[in-house]
Amino acid sequence: MKHGAIAILPLAAGAALYGFAFGLLAAQVGFPWWGVGLMSAAVHAGSSQIVAVEQFANTSAVLGAALAGAALNLRYIGIIASLSEVLQGLPLRVRLFAIHITGDENWALTMSERAKAPAIGASFLIGSGLVMISVWTMSTTAGAIVGAVLPDLEKFGLGFAFTAAFIAMARGLWRGRPNALPWLVAFGATIAVVLLGLPKAFAIVAGTLCGLLASYAVRRHRSAVA
Amino acid sequence: MTSPYWALILVLAFAAFSIRVVGLFAGDSIRASRYAWMLDDVPGLIVVSLVAASLAGQSFQTWVAAVVALSVALSTNHVIATMAIGVLAYAGLAWIGF
Repeated sequence: MKHGAIAILPLAAGAALYGFAFGLLAAQVGFPWWGVGLMSAAVHAGSSQIVAVEQFANTSAVLGAALAGAALNLRYIGIIASLSEVLQGLPLRVRLFAIHITGDENWALTMSERAKAPAIGASFLIGSGLVMISVWTMSTTAGAIVGAVLPDLEKFGLGFAFTAAFIAMARGLWRGRPNALPWLVAFGATIAVVLLGLPKAFAIVAGTLCGLLASYAVRRHRSAVA
Repeated sequence: MTSPYWALILVLAFAAFSIRVVGLFAGDSIRASRYAWMLDDVPGLIVVSLVAASLAGQSFQTWVAAVVALSVALSTNHVIATMAIGVLAYAGLAWIGF
């Protein structure tokens, strides 16, 4: 466990910076510092939290904001499924705890270390996960405490930080040319729906569905050509 | 903290953990199904739709700042750098009265 906890420290430092920025933004849109900390410990999913907070700040719709945030976490179905061997033989409560503290960073580190040394397993995953969730919770809380005492930074463009964060997330999710058409369709459809005067939450769902249809068409075309 | 904040935290925590539990018990069969591609595509499409929703109907200044942020994201693939330079670009454009 100690091995994982030490090995994850460089990645935890990067997450701390991101967590601090998220906490600051969340406080600026009205979240109290302890609410931010509670959310980080209970949800433990950075991109989901930032999306949910931004949507909630703009629409006040709890379910829509939570579902938009949670949908970003769908990749965890695959991530957790890939841990089946690592978690094999552990009691259910330990497995449930391990999947909660698993994030992108400690999952990737565990899998890459395991590829080099098959003895790396659940204890490495849990040790690194404990450090990650602790650092994430503390850094987001610290950001929220600082964000709460700062004046309203909206006039300095802080609201644009959410847009910039989404742009950065999109860059991280880009998987090459097959994404191009579906993403263009999703972008155009969302803009069109907003300009028609419909709520943004509806536009995001419509854009995502149109993008999925385009992705389906691209996949069918590629398999027909192959 | 009012009840909507509590509700958001609880619903999001429940949804996020449920997805992990689905991965634990049914992940392998879902990954092998004909709908597995949706799991890969939905996150990116949602994020692109979020970018579009935050830019739709906004000022030229916001679009220019978005282009700056996009170029930083493309060259660095770094969330904090993209946020910091994007906000600086936005504030700088506002300051010069763009």
